[in-house]
Amino acid sequence: MRYQPLLALSACVLCAPAFATQYLSAEQAQQLMFPDATAFRPQPLALNAAQMQQIEKLSGLPARSVNWRVVGAYKGDALLGYMVLDDVTGKFELISYAVGLNPDATVRQVEVLAYRESHGGEVRLPAWRRQFVGKSASGGGLTVGEGIANISGATLSCTHLTDGVRRIAAIAQVMLKK
Amino acid sequence: MIRRAQPWLGTLVEVTIGAMGGAAPDPQNPADLQAANQLINLAFAQIGQVQRLMSFHDAASDVSRFNRAGAGEVLPVDPHTWDVFQLAQRISDSTEGIFNIACAPRLVAWDCLPSPASARPVYEPSTAVLRCEEGSMVRKLAAGWVDLGGIAKGYAVDLAVEALRAAGVTSACVNAGGDLRVLGAEAWPVAIRDPLAPFRTARTVQQGDGAMATSAAYFSAKRHAGQQVCALVDGRTGEPLPGRSSITVQAPRCAVADALTKVVVATAGTQHPALRAWDATAFII
Repeated sequence: MRYQPLLALSACVLCAPAFATQYLSAEQAQQLMFPDATAFRPQPLALNAAQMQQIEKLSGLPARSVNWRVVGAYKGDALLGYMVLDDVTGKFELISYAVGLNPDATVRQVEVLAYRESHGGEVRLPAWRRQFVGKSASGGGLTVGEGIANISGATLSCTHLTDGVRRIAAIAQVMLKK
Repeated sequence: MIRRAQPWLGTLVEVTIGAMGGAAPDPQNPADLQAANQLINLAFAQIGQVQRLMSFHDAASDVSRFNRAGAGEVLPVDPHTWDVFQLAQRISDSTEGIFNIACAPRLVAWDCLPSPASARPVYEPSTAVLRCEEGSMVRKLAAGWVDLGGIAKGYAVDLAVEALRAAGVTSACVNAGGDLRVLGAEAWPVAIRDPLAPFRTARTVQQGDGAMATSAAYFSAKRHAGQQVCALVDGRTGEPLPGRSSITVQAPRCAVADALTKVVVATAGTQHPALRAWDATAFII
């Protein structure tokens, strides 16, 4: 068993991130967004062509996917809101995030779940990854531990993320609004 | 250590709580986690407030209202916006105008910012566009647009850190895409990107109580109408400052560190008198 993580790491050298942080699991995010909820129920969405068109018109962005991961938050039978999970990829980055929505489809909160950067061959660099070795890895992802560096450097634009939030707000308007 | 990230101010903002009331929160303890998350919410609320007040992109912000105003108009703005305008003016004065928030028309012309109106003012480095007046009022002195992109992120970080301090946090770090501030005696490791290979770490520095801001053109540089442009502008000439190096300024306040990076980029040196005047130091990679 103890060799498995090493094998996984070496197999992943080409796709390993240069800078990466895991902030929250989906379960932690839903708890954070809806602390009063007593139940969370998966309510996946499948969009039809007309709905996708409507979403594109509302957001000014391609609807991108037919299927969306949605969780309903309930207190007893009362609906508190929804959380939509999504990933966006930019030229250099992959961001997993969650959007909390009120029943009226307004955005309540946006939380980044995980952030990864990669850039071709440069992702081979093990220096950054080495920081994570030996740190807690509960839930299969990397967990922030003591001593993990902040990054200072020019801002990587998060246009893809803000577009993603806008798209989800439109999906909520069309599909979830009560 | 409990850390979260949200998108604000066009970048990812990270808030990390290292210790509250002198003790590190235990992520496995629900009470600790809840307390830390409430503090992090408080910090993000400060950042959100700065975005609402000072975004160039939001038509309802103080900055957008100012940009739409005609020459001679006097506008009320939020005290925070007034503070940032005032600080920007003082930094501009101490840097011979290298730092100038009125260079926004250039950034719009280069498609680094969206155009707030159809009539485009021309950037004239020697013309003052804005004056802070009593009672949180600002006067538009001449046609022009201002952008607080070079200072507001730092100011937002300062506000968030002050809110955490007031709420009893003893160790924290707030990082808005490279403009960061550490609260507390304990130093935090900060990886500085390599400007020639931005996905690598060029250097790791230990940042104690205080702020650090890093500026470089590697993500914003592009060609526009045959000219190499980027989001950094020399306020004296309105010319872009592409360059291949990375500039880091350390100062007590993040707003000051953020603004002074432009001075170091423009002068390609770390000895400008404004740095000492603002209790700042700089290094170039």
